[in-house]
This record gives sequence, structure tokens and C-alpha cells, in this order.
Amino acid sequence: MASAVPATGRELSNPPLDGITNLRFSNHSDHLLVSSWDKSVRLYDASANVLRGEFMHAGPVLDCCFHDDSSGFSVAADNTVRRLVFSSNKEDILGRHDAPVRCVEYSYAAGQLITGSWDKTLKCWDPRGASGQERTLVGTYPQAERVYSLSLVGHRLVVATAGRHVNIYDLRNMSQPEQRRESSLKYQTRCVHCYPNGTGYALSSVEGRVAMEFFDLSEASQAKKYAFKCHRKSEAGRDIVYPVNAIAFHPIYGTFATGGCDGYVNVWDGNNKKRLYQYSKYPTSVAALSFSRDGRLLAVASSYTFEDGPKSQEQDAIFVRSVNEIEVKPKPKVYPNPPV
Amino acid sequence: MGKKKKRVSSKVWCYYCDREFDDEKILVQHQKAKHFKCHVCHKKLSTAGGMAIHVLQVHKESVTKVPNAKPGRESTDIEIYGMQGIPPDILAAHYGEEEDDVPSKAAKVDIPPTQLVGGMIPPPLGTGYPSRPALPTMPPVYNPAVPVPPNAWVVPPRPQPWFSQPPVVSVPPAAPYTQQPLFPVQNVRPPLPATAPALQTQITPPGLPTSAPVPVSQPLFPVVGNNHTTTQSSAFSAPPLPSSVPSVTPVMSTNVPVDTHLSSNSSVTSSYQAIGVPGGAASNSHSYASGPNTGGPSIGPPPVIANKAPAPQPATNEVYLVWDDEAMSMEERRMSLPKYQVHDESSQMSSIDAAIDKRILESRLAGRMAF
Repeated sequence: MASAVPATGRELSNPPLDGITNLRFSNHSDHLLVSSWDKSVRLYDASANVLRGEFMHAGPVLDCCFHDDSSGFSVAADNTVRRLVFSSNKEDILGRHDAPVRCVEYSYAAGQLITGSWDKTLKCWDPRGASGQERTLVGTYPQAERVYSLSLVGHRLVVATAGRHVNIYDLRNMSQPEQRRESSLKYQTRCVHCYPNGTGYALSSVEGRVAMEFFDLSEASQAKKYAFKCHRKSEAGRDIVYPVNAIAFHPIYGTFATGGCDGYVNVWDGNNKKRLYQYSKYPTSVAALSFSRDGRLLAVASSYTFEDGPKSQEQDAIFVRSVNEIEVKPKPKVYPNPPV
Repeated sequence: MGKKKKRVSSKVWCYYCDREFDDEKILVQHQKAKHFKCHVCHKKLSTAGGMAIHVLQVHKESVTKVPNAKPGRESTDIEIYGMQGIPPDILAAHYGEEEDDVPSKAAKVDIPPTQLVGGMIPPPLGTGYPSRPALPTMPPVYNPAVPVPPNAWVVPPRPQPWFSQPPVVSVPPAAPYTQQPLFPVQNVRPPLPATAPALQTQITPPGLPTSAPVPVSQPLFPVVGNNHTTTQSSAFSAPPLPSSVPSVTPVMSTNVPVDTHLSSNSSVTSSYQAIGVPGGAASNSHSYASGPNTGGPSIGPPPVIANKAPAPQPATNEVYLVWDDEAMSMEERRMSLPKYQVHDESSQMSSIDAAIDKRILESRLAGRMAF
């Protein structure tokens, strides 16, 4: 533990002053965008460990994402959807929802921003225009319940809501969902994330489980879906089950990391149904995870996520750790085929 | 040349300790129990490398030698699985003893009867350092007088099988006997299960997973169950006893072959958490029944009873959900704190506040139960 880089990774300076809601690596650099309950969005240079920018909302910021390396987007409890321009440290409001906005994703395929809110709607925005509701809002799509998580791959959008609903859209035809599903896990959905290869999505719940799903409705594809338990511990004669807050896929190998309220980060090989690695325990709940574009870094938000109600003296931190290939690469077969 | 093209009925032996077994599955069990077991938490891994990685990752200790191995055979870098992975020179040296005994013939037909009387076969020379100190827990050789049959692809197989020898009978009972003391250790961790609520919270495939040979599946299954149990980050808390399962819950058929796949290819490193308070139970039926329930971190049958999904299960002490409020998320709950209230657009926020407060009251009255 007492080494230049601790087992949890290098801790970033100037962390947010309250809980961390999400963090994302850029697709072009080692910049990291972090949203927080302290109403700020912060831009870090993760390699240099330097805070490069800070943007304030009127309410807690619930999600953020990059547009490109010069700008990003954030959504907050003040119902606003904002664009952030990093070079000038300026921001403007693209539009609003009727309730706190829980998640935001930018689609490079469609050139649109997608936001999900607790007002039970999904909205698409064209960020190229100037400010103004009429010019930027592309469409509003009602959902059965409050939106909890979004994920994009290609033209596919997966929306996970309260009530365990999962709607799958094609961004080119948002009038109706391509599929309406219900979560195969029986507890509240926590996070959804699409496979990088576009064949399906991983969905986590508050009950320490992750479901591996596939878009193709054929019998052969649906036979491949499964779920597994994780982020649990046995203590004093009871099984304590923690929410799985975050899912992040490795950009090269297609393996994925999960982070839970137990403070652990696990790496899984979804194809071979194996756990590849478990990192050392983090100081508090793992709220968010993000791999860098080349998969060499993993950002971990160690931040209390309110699973036990109000607490004081919680330390919020961002750790950036180097990723060894052995931790994320699927393992080959253990034994060779017997010689003929 | 020989009657047998495959060595289906030939005996197999352990690379690490040279013990012979009639069945490769029993050999694999022996290796997991004797050579691939973690000395800290007694979890059985499937390979030496997997065991070394497990000890390093979970217990932060380094293991450079395979336990209970002969000198020169302790390397954890060679991946042995049963008879697979043995270096060819070791394999040749192991069967080369018979060739020395019959130097005048290139093809061996039969072992002379005098060889049986001759005594113990000298141990083959392994690569490494022969002067290394022998491990104190070296298992004894039960049948020193029995010669080892040749491997098919090294020398032509003999037409006459050797399992008819009287000393061989003593070997098969030894392996299952060594398995038995391990079960109480494994089963001490879980508490006594409350079967009825456990079935609701943990949907388990009923009975046995399908496997072709009935006599083989019996001894294999507890080992599979134990591996899966320790693979999870938590010990299994509510394994239902077979005699007290009230109804058969339908399970997706894909779960059973996945269990089988995991058992044969399990090299998962796991975090071994604190051991639970020991609860007494019948060891065999306990681990036996809990096998499919604790199918490892990558297996869990999705629930098929839709009407139970929205309501949180009234779990007893067995399962504790850290977040059990199904009506709202952790963020929604946190948003209701005064310090997170948004001062802009107070009219909209007040209506949201009222809705959130209403949901809080509803969830507290209806959903939350004190543990």
C-alpha cells in the first residue's frame, strides 16, 4: 500500500465538495468530466492531475458527458440541460425538462443529445443551434416512469426507468420504441450500459445483480441471456446485498467493470461468464466508473451514494488507476487440447 | 498394433505426486483438493496458476510452489488439469521405466510376471532441482508394486488392462474419503436456512442439474457446489433442503449447462469475505442442495414470477438489501434533503417536493420493514 501509486490508483486533486454523480473520459484525450451534488461540473486532465475547468449549476448536477474535447453537456436538478464550452469556461442552456434531469448521452451517430428526466420524458436536442427552446429541441418522448439510466450504442438507445421498464429505441425513428421490455431483474434498476459490439446491454439493480441481455429477439439470441450476483457479503448470519451503481465497458476487450455500494470494483468477462479481477476496496461506495478511450486508465468515483440515508463526514474522491492487461483481457483456455 | 486406440480404460496419474487413479475426474478432484487448494481459505481452484493468482489477489501472499508436490514438480507456471498439460518429457519419463525393463524389444506386448514381484518402480526424474527438500505432507504410495500402463501416444498400449490387480482396489475409496472431511468446513459458514422466504428471494433450480452418468454425478456435485459457493463474494445464505422444497419453480434451461460449464472451467478469482456465523446442518445434503443455488458470480436465474417483481420481498434475516426502497432511487431520496433543493423555479420544485414527499410516506408505510 505504501508506494508511489496506492492500490486504489492515484487520487485527483481538487475533488468535488459533495457526492459525485458521474464521471466520463473523453473520446479524444485523457480529460475527465465529473458531475457532482455540489452543483458543479469539473473538467480534469487526468494524466496531469490538473483541474482545468469548473461550471456551476443552480442545483445538483446529476449527469454529464462530452460533446468533443472542447465542449460537453450537463443536466441537473434545476431541470436544465446545459452546454459547457471548456476553452471560454462559458455555458448556455439548451433547454429544460419539467423535473430534475437524471441522465444525458450524446449520440455521435445521430448528432443529437438525449436527456432523460424524472418528469417521465426523454428529450432529443440538436446542439448545433444557438440557445432557444424552439430551435434546439428535436422531440419529446413520454416514458412510463421516471428515467433512471440511458445508454447508447450506434443508433440504439436503451432507456431504463422506475418500475423496471426498459425501452429500446432506434434514434432514426423515435416515434415509437423499437422494443418495450421489462427488466429481468426483480428489483429497481440502477444502471444500464450497452455492449460496445452493439448486440445487447448490461443492466444492474439495487439487489446486487447484473443481467446480460441481447437486442435480437430470436430464440437463439435470447437463450444467451443470463444474470449473475455480485457486490454481496455475508456478515453475522445475513447476506448483505449492495446496489450495483456503475457499469463501464473496456473499449478494446469488451469486458466490463462494475462498482457497487460495497466499495468494490470488479471486472467481468461477460462472454465467458467469469470474474477477471477485483480491485482493492475503495473508501466508500463506488458511484461511477469510466474507462479511457484506449482502456489504459479507469476512473473510479469513490463517493457515498445515499444508500443508508443522510451521513456526515463522507470523503468524496476520484481515483484514476492504470489498467493492466491481465485485469481486463479475457483469459485464454486454461489447458490445451490433448494431443491426438 | 494394440487393441485400444484410446486410453479410456487406462489409469491416470497425478503429475505432482505420482499417485494413480482409475478415473480422470477423480484425479482432477484429487488435484483440486491436494495441490490447488488455497492454504488460507481452503478454496479449491482448478489450476495451479489460478490458485497462485487467487492467493495473491485475495490474500496478498505469494505462492511459488504447488503444495504437496514432489521435488522438481512444484512450479505454478505449468498449467496441469488432470492429465492435460503434463510436459512431454515428464510424460515420457513416467512411462519410460517399462522400456528400460525390456530393452531388447522396441514394441512392448506384456509385462513379465517377475516385474510385479520386483517391487517399487523408481520415481521418474523430473526437471528442476532433485536436491530440494521433500514436503512433509507427501501422500503415501498405496500400490508400489503395480507398474504404470503406458500412454497411448508414447508407446503402443498393452492389450491387457491392469485395473484387475488386487492392490488397485485400495485407490478408489481413498479419493472420496479425502473429500468428506472438507464438506463440514465448507458448510460451517452458512446459517440455518429459512426455506420458505428463501425460495421467494432466491429462485433456485430444483433438484439436480442434468448430467449423464448417475454414479459419477453424485461425488462430483458437492465439489462443484463448494467451488461455486466460495467463488461468490458471499457465502450462500439460504440453500433450500431438498426434502422441504414445497414447489418446483421453473428455471430457464440455459442455467443448467452454464453450471456444468463453470464447474469444468472455473478459474475465477474471488474475494473471500468474512466467514459467517456457523450454522449446523447435514453437510452432504446442505452442500448438495446449494450447488445450483450458488452457481458463482456469473450465474443467477432471472425471476419468472412477474407479479412478485414490483414488491420488495419480506426477507427475514437471510437477505438484507442495502437499498430496499423500490418506489424511488437513491438520487430521488437524496434530492429531498433541504440542502439540495433548487431555489430557481420554486413553483415547479414545490410540486416535485410534494410528489417526492408523498412517495416517501407511501414507501415508508407500505414497503419498508424493520430488520
